[in-house]
Amino acid sequence: MQIIENSKIKEKLYIEKFDNGLTIMILPKKTRKKYIVWSTNFGSIDNKFYAPGEKVLTVVPDGIAHYLEHKLFEQENGENSLDILTSIGVDANAYTTNDHTAYLYECTDNFDEALDEFMNYVQNPYFTDENVEKERGIIEQEIMMYDDYPEWALYMNAMKCLYKDNEINIDIAGTKETIAKITKEKLYKIYDSFYRPENMIIVLSGDFVPDEAFDKIKSKITMKANPNETKRLYNKESEEIVQEFIEKEMNVSIPTVLIGYKDNNLKGDKVKKDIAIDILGCILFGKSSKLYEKLYEAGKIFTEPTINYEFSKTFAHILIQFQTNDVKSTVDEITLEINNLKKTGINFDDFERAKRRVYGDLVKDYNEVSNIATGIVADYFKDINSFDYFEEFSSISKEYVEKVLRELFVDSKKVVSVIKPNEKENEE
Amino acid sequence: MNKTTFDLKQGIKAHFIKTDLYKTDLSCLIITTPLKRETVTLNALIPFMLRRGTKKLPNQGLINKELENMYGATFNCGIDKMGDNVILKFYIESISSEYALNSENILEMNLNNLLDIVFDPIQNDELLNEQFLTLEKENLKRVINRKIDDKDSYALDRCISAMYGDEKFGLYKYGYEEDVDKITIKDISGYYNWLIQNSKIDIFISGNIKTDEVEEFLKKNNNIKKLRPRIENYILNNEFTESKQIVENINEISEKMDVSQGKLVMGLDILSDMENLQVVALVYNAILGDGANSMMFQNVREKASLAYSARSTFVKQKLNIFIRCGIQIENYEKAIKIIKEQLENIKKGEFSDEDIQNAKTYLISSLKNVAEEQDTEVIYYIGQEISKTNMSLEEYIKKIETVTKEQVVELANSIQLNTIYFLKN
Repeated sequence: MQIIENSKIKEKLYIEKFDNGLTIMILPKKTRKKYIVWSTNFGSIDNKFYAPGEKVLTVVPDGIAHYLEHKLFEQENGENSLDILTSIGVDANAYTTNDHTAYLYECTDNFDEALDEFMNYVQNPYFTDENVEKERGIIEQEIMMYDDYPEWALYMNAMKCLYKDNEINIDIAGTKETIAKITKEKLYKIYDSFYRPENMIIVLSGDFVPDEAFDKIKSKITMKANPNETKRLYNKESEEIVQEFIEKEMNVSIPTVLIGYKDNNLKGDKVKKDIAIDILGCILFGKSSKLYEKLYEAGKIFTEPTINYEFSKTFAHILIQFQTNDVKSTVDEITLEINNLKKTGINFDDFERAKRRVYGDLVKDYNEVSNIATGIVADYFKDINSFDYFEEFSSISKEYVEKVLRELFVDSKKVVSVIKPNEKENEE
Repeated sequence: MNKTTFDLKQGIKAHFIKTDLYKTDLSCLIITTPLKRETVTLNALIPFMLRRGTKKLPNQGLINKELENMYGATFNCGIDKMGDNVILKFYIESISSEYALNSENILEMNLNNLLDIVFDPIQNDELLNEQFLTLEKENLKRVINRKIDDKDSYALDRCISAMYGDEKFGLYKYGYEEDVDKITIKDISGYYNWLIQNSKIDIFISGNIKTDEVEEFLKKNNNIKKLRPRIENYILNNEFTESKQIVENINEISEKMDVSQGKLVMGLDILSDMENLQVVALVYNAILGDGANSMMFQNVREKASLAYSARSTFVKQKLNIFIRCGIQIENYEKAIKIIKEQLENIKKGEFSDEDIQNAKTYLISSLKNVAEEQDTEVIYYIGQEISKTNMSLEEYIKKIETVTKEQVVELANSIQLNTIYFLKN
């Protein structure tokens, strides 16, 4: 067992790798809560692969990872594990992202009773034509629910502008048409190809004694290592963006804007970059910045723009999001500020202040067991250890942040996605 | 219990929740005042005006520089309906001094700022700064208009206002656009000065705090000294302000908007004065539509595949339950038929002991979580404070355990469907 300690946040992370290749990590916390998440490195972007031992490429319908997430709860005896876990008194759930699928529960009592059910359902899929069919209507409604979320359309449109062929363009839940093609055979095939111990991690956070928890889980693992690999295939993506601008009308009261910058450098210090980008957001248009004050006083924005570096093994981009009643001039002013800062360099006081803010945000992430555990999972599939953020933090210099600004915030790699109110609404 | 309360002055209380479970301190100042058509918009404008600057830090930039220096302390304000009251919330969350790089006393600095923002804004002859007014009125209008952006909560708000009209609980918490235009600097300043001297004020502080020190600090604080003792002017949340009427015809409303999915909301009235009413209703609601084992989830979603989201929520201050689901527009009749069947089934007692046990287990485990989440715990105590109840989580859990099937059936038979609201295209 490996133990990593972080003196800044006073936490320890216990790491163990089982013989079958499964990784398990535990971050004990003083709380009555217990949180467990079991995740596989398989998400919406994984749509082409050579199944273990096969030479023919398998291409699966969009949305299948998410469909499987819904169906894994079904049991052979006709019961549904979500119902059972709920009746034990634990809060069970699951989610699918672009690069992983996760199953979880959280509780204050009955962790052990629930663990049996949990370990059993994740390792034993049971799909029938009937139970697969039943889910289609439910997932269609989930897709339609997202269709009514302006921010989801804003994001997907930005991805279409940034990427031509990258699988990030695939909607996580798929579409009504693609999910119509999902069958029990296809679900079993992806389960067998990706729900494999070496492709998975279990993370626990909360009221745990690491040794005991490791042993308990180990005794319930039935999954075997598979000598044959699953080989994934991703499309080659051009370094260029597809289009600079996209807008869509929806029934909203005010335009929302997402500015994206494509980052083609997928190797290297992602953690440092991530921290530097948060610092830059604070300096450029954070609430204490001159630009924020100017845009606010002009009535152009009324909340702070958010900034986020989103990355995985196959893509990376910066996203800046805000609401404005004057899209063009606000986008222009932000772009201008970015380019000015490249010339003038960063003021030292601004840098120090932004750094303190970002540090505080990193510490706050360690309050809630759910944030901690799901954060560790997401980082793990990006080949990052979550504590690296604290290790790297002290090494971030003003010069490094300026370098990130010059290299990543490049006009030729910039896209703008807008959701604006329907024309007819404006006439009213 | 880890919570202590003391009176700073009549009508002004400080509540300390001492806990070492978090890396953060949370300070939350609440002003409680009755919901009224005449003042609902003024209330909503106040946080917009106050966050612009204090005498010490006269603009937003300076306030935010100070917050950023405090390791990104976050200041936020908001407004919520709680029964027939409006609560104005001002809060600051920051990392605890223990995790600061130079062990500064972050909590005191933040409390100073919080109290300055609420009680010491830039004022001239009792007038708030007029320069901020035009812009903040525009900002409030934007927030009011934003209610259409989230279609789910819009549908719920529409159903509530159909049931209550433009009075009290039917009011929109951010107020009304037509009222915003009329507000002058005199109006808002006069109202602000009245509000802080006449309302119930509660300060909640949660974290690994030294209670004695914080108490001393608050007693010595000049802003607190300036406040007068007051007779709290608010509506106790356990007093029901209107008696519910028997509905002859269900009010069926549909509205068109550019949506891809229909949003269905069904508003129910509870017409009962049985003992332990609120706790029985909580169990009823869990059986009906709260959680994966509920009738809504099992029948509307799992069996009929009509919805992804299918649930119900209980508003205890108003004795209403709101059933909510997102469905394909053509399935309107079908969904209503299935939901009505569920309501009938509970009335007839057609649910098992297991159903009632599942509901209790579900509620109890959510209650146990309350003390493990900093903001949830503060919100729980705010609710208790405004309803003048002092029930610990343990007592609450015991009460839930005593609910019987007969009580649930009795309650079910007092429930009437009042309004069906449907947002479609």
